[in-house]
Amino acid sequence: MNPNEKPEEGGEKPETPETPAKPETPVVPGTPAKPVTPEKPATPEKPATPEKPVAPAVEGGESAPAASAAAPGEGAAAGAPSGRRRLADALWPPRVTRAQLVVALLLACLGFGLAIQVSSTSEGSALRGARQEDLVRILDELDDRTQRLEDEKARLEKQRSELESSSDQAEEARRQTQEKERQLGILAGTVAAEGPGITLTVTDPVGAVESDMLLDAIQELRAAGAEAIQVDGVRVVANSYFTGGGEDMRIDGTPVTAPYVFKVIGKPEDLEPALNIPGGVVQTLEKEQATATVERSAKIVVDALRPAKRPDYARSSSP
Amino acid sequence: MIAVLGLIVGVVAGLLVRPEIPAVVEPYLPIAVVAALDAVFGGLRAMLDGIFVDKVFVVSFLSNVVVAALIVFLGDKLGVGAQLSTGVVVVLGIRIFSNAAAIRRHVFRA
Repeated sequence: MNPNEKPEEGGEKPETPETPAKPETPVVPGTPAKPVTPEKPATPEKPATPEKPVAPAVEGGESAPAASAAAPGEGAAAGAPSGRRRLADALWPPRVTRAQLVVALLLACLGFGLAIQVSSTSEGSALRGARQEDLVRILDELDDRTQRLEDEKARLEKQRSELESSSDQAEEARRQTQEKERQLGILAGTVAAEGPGITLTVTDPVGAVESDMLLDAIQELRAAGAEAIQVDGVRVVANSYFTGGGEDMRIDGTPVTAPYVFKVIGKPEDLEPALNIPGGVVQTLEKEQATATVERSAKIVVDALRPAKRPDYARSSSP
Repeated sequence: MIAVLGLIVGVVAGLLVRPEIPAVVEPYLPIAVVAALDAVFGGLRAMLDGIFVDKVFVVSFLSNVVVAALIVFLGDKLGVGAQLSTGVVVVLGIRIFSNAAAIRRHVFRA
């Protein structure tokens, strides 16, 4: 509002006397509403509202020629400038009057409170200006929310521990199953095996070695704790069978020829004496003009495999 | 002019000093400020109307502030503080708007 008034005010200022002294008004033609001082509005200003064009005429008793001369000069804006003029008069020539001082004091109080309130509202959180019951309600809501979140947290933690333990159990079961599968696979001959053991080489220059002799050797080795056996690339397992003899030796239907090389995984200190005992495998073979040599080894690889056969009728009875 | 200077001085002082508002006064300060704004707009309108009297302004300013704070205080005691302060703000807002309309007619003639 004030900026709007400034230009007009500036234009009027030279003409406006510093004090609203009445005698000067006729001299200055540009101040039609000058007598309408804002500080002393009590009596004659009542009719001076802009809506009443009569007002200048009424005031004209005091300064009629001035008002009539100024009205055409200022054009439309000067038609009823009393409101603006009052504002401008109140604004520009700073007058120290009681009214101005009192209003200034009150406005200072207002500005002070306004600034405090604005700064306290904007600087702090929204809670700062909140009322007591609002604060209590907000606190209750926060408590409820905290409770709900705590419940949810406990539920999720329980779920997580359950999942962890169950996955641990599943992992353990899977590990055990794999271990078992490997052990059984070694026994069944479906997986390769390696470890310490011996190599038994049986040569048969005259073709005198019969299948039962090889079977005896296998039995002896098993009795001594052999865990995995292969003969000339044929894995020997629980249901292996030896047929023929001499030039037509077959193990599980697969022909094998001398020299027969037994690769045996087991404890070498047990296996070798088991073969070499008096009247044992080695002596029996040597009686038949075959030779049997036993050689310990820290690493025997039994890599001949048998296909895993799925039983047609038998099913596991364990769940 | 001095009045405007007083307003500016008050705002600057409030911004610079930033006093801690006593907790007792705190709920009433915004309402009091709105009430004072209403009084100021009323005074401005009266000035433009040419019927401004400083005594009336002082009395209306103070009584506005006091009555507004009193209403809110009473509302707090009755347990309807929030609603009553809303009502006070609405009423004062309406008055401010009507005063502003009158001022606007004076200043802009529209």
